[in-house]
Amino acid sequence: MTSRNDILARVRANLGVAAESDAAAAERRQRALATLAARSEGPRPRISGDLAQRFADKSMAMASTLARVATLAQVPSAVAAYLAGLALPSRAVCWPAFAALDWREAGLDIAARPAHGDDLVGITGCFCAIAETGTLMLASGPDTAATTSLLPETHIAIVPQSRIMPVMEAGFALLRAEQGDDLPRAVNFVSGPSRTGDIEQTIVLGAHGPYRVHLILVTGA
Amino acid sequence: MRSQAMFFQRRSGEALADARLRRNLDGLRDKFVGMRARAVSAYADHGTATVPNPDFEALRDAGAAIRDRVLKDLDVWLELFEHKATQRGARVHWAKDGREICEHVLAIARQHGITKVIKSKSMLSEEAQLNVALTAAGIEPVETDLGEYILQISGNEPPSHILAPAAHKNLDEVADLFAEKHGKPKKTEIPALTREAREVLREHFLSAGMGISGGNFLIADTGSVALVTNEGNGRMVTTLPKVHVVITGIEKIVPTLEDFATLMRLLPRSATGQEISNYVSVCTGTKGEADADGPEHTYFILVDNGRAGLVGSEFQEMLRCIRCGACMNHCPVYQTVGGHAYGWVYPGPMGSVLTSLYTGLENALDLPHAATLCNQCGVVCPVRIPLAELQRKLREKQTERRLRPWTERAALGIWAWVAQRPALYALAAKLGVRYLRWLADGQNYIKVLGLAPGWTAGRDFPAPQEGTFRELYKRRQENRT
Repeated sequence: MTSRNDILARVRANLGVAAESDAAAAERRQRALATLAARSEGPRPRISGDLAQRFADKSMAMASTLARVATLAQVPSAVAAYLAGLALPSRAVCWPAFAALDWREAGLDIAARPAHGDDLVGITGCFCAIAETGTLMLASGPDTAATTSLLPETHIAIVPQSRIMPVMEAGFALLRAEQGDDLPRAVNFVSGPSRTGDIEQTIVLGAHGPYRVHLILVTGA
Repeated sequence: MRSQAMFFQRRSGEALADARLRRNLDGLRDKFVGMRARAVSAYADHGTATVPNPDFEALRDAGAAIRDRVLKDLDVWLELFEHKATQRGARVHWAKDGREICEHVLAIARQHGITKVIKSKSMLSEEAQLNVALTAAGIEPVETDLGEYILQISGNEPPSHILAPAAHKNLDEVADLFAEKHGKPKKTEIPALTREAREVLREHFLSAGMGISGGNFLIADTGSVALVTNEGNGRMVTTLPKVHVVITGIEKIVPTLEDFATLMRLLPRSATGQEISNYVSVCTGTKGEADADGPEHTYFILVDNGRAGLVGSEFQEMLRCIRCGACMNHCPVYQTVGGHAYGWVYPGPMGSVLTSLYTGLENALDLPHAATLCNQCGVVCPVRIPLAELQRKLREKQTERRLRPWTERAALGIWAWVAQRPALYALAAKLGVRYLRWLADGQNYIKVLGLAPGWTAGRDFPAPQEGTFRELYKRRQENRT
């Protein structure tokens, strides 16, 4: 604890508040708490028009691919078509929420469990999506394994159109509204496949995470 | 790492003589500068590449204000963060310096029986030479940022850029290195090399007991750390091992998630010209009982290592820094000599200021002078740090503390004495110009400056075209009449 107290004492001395009165300390604390309570938002780009279109455009700019289906029931055949088109394996893992979809009918072998290091395709939903940047917002939890969107070489995400928010701030507000003020263990924002530019600043897709991110936008959900 | 900043002159001279490094740096400059310019002009669909974009300027104002709000009451914000992070199940430790960072990390590793650590980029662990301490304690540290990994297997080279640590190496050098260290046939394509590193590092991700990361931001309202990466190694490090240790400076706090969202509009655009980085992770507390994954133990190590000394000082603005690297990408000196010449963890303009302030003015005498004061750094800084002004202030401090070499002080003394005597000054200038013109021998440039040959080691000196300023001025006045 001595390092803690030393560091804080140094900060206070340099701020000129080492000998401040209790009232002054309380006032500074109130000022900080007021900032927290206000949650004021900063400048942002104007996000006008069709959110779903903006989300689609921006996600593709981040090298995601995107397909649209009308209903959740059409997702398995869309997944099968995507995988077949790229000659990718028809075996995958998915979040439990999608275990009941008729994958077998589409010719897919899907296990509802978190991904392991050698799984090649992972299928997830998302907490919501962000139109500003074409981003998926994923919230960790018992049924939303983070590994499913991370370890496999191909990540397929199911995005209900009604869950597209304009900006990150709206995503956080929605999270508070649905799950309370305390954040889940991990909130991951994912925008396209993983990449690196560390060799000659040449962008290469597929660094440690997926090589491909495919979004299936469900327009009627 | 131990600072080598006092050797800037020698190291920058070596860098200038390294033709391969110069070519690698040219590529770096063109890419980073162009990408940022396009991203800034495209922000809010406003502005052009050459005219400042008013919307982006407003964003920079907001970013600076968020950082200043925290620094003004930093003690309060630290306590609020500590309280919330602890409430959410993390442990919060404090470290005054690099030695205490290492002590905390080793104690945590011992407590959990750790033999291997995976690391996503943490500049503070470079400040602390943490890898040396881990290795000495029999714990294997594995750097997982591709650039950092390249440097680690290249005999623990220091990074030369805060975003692209291996920016000084080209494809061929990396290919040779991988072939040697991985014992596999040499690959010549960047995607193949990246896949090879991915496969090697994947094994480490899946087997390490502890992950160490830095933190781009700490969020006081939620007790969280935010990590920004493109490779996904930040997600791996915070998802797979059972222990996660965050090592971060005490200045990294922002109040709310909304403030974080604002800064996330600035950071990727300024750094890599992206609208957003691929992975932005906000991590809070530990794995819940039913959670599918995540660390069972989360530790924060909040580090001073010189930062508290800047609070309330004339250099406080430096603590706004969000480590985007735009200042070095746009710095003509960095573009010419690269990052290693600066001799410590942080290169470029922000590095010149931080190295001087964190390791001592007397240990980095050349760094504040490794600047043309053109202020490109200040113009692109997303949080409006007046970097050129801070470097000028550091020069003043050096002079006040009489740290400049006696030759320089004597020369300035003589100059001041002469400058106060106009006739003498005119004569000296006249002789100087004649001497330089004689040296140039009819050419426009002087190849070797007689009294200061070091100056012309890596460049030519422009020769004066005619006489002194006074002579030219006088002639011009005569021509008018």
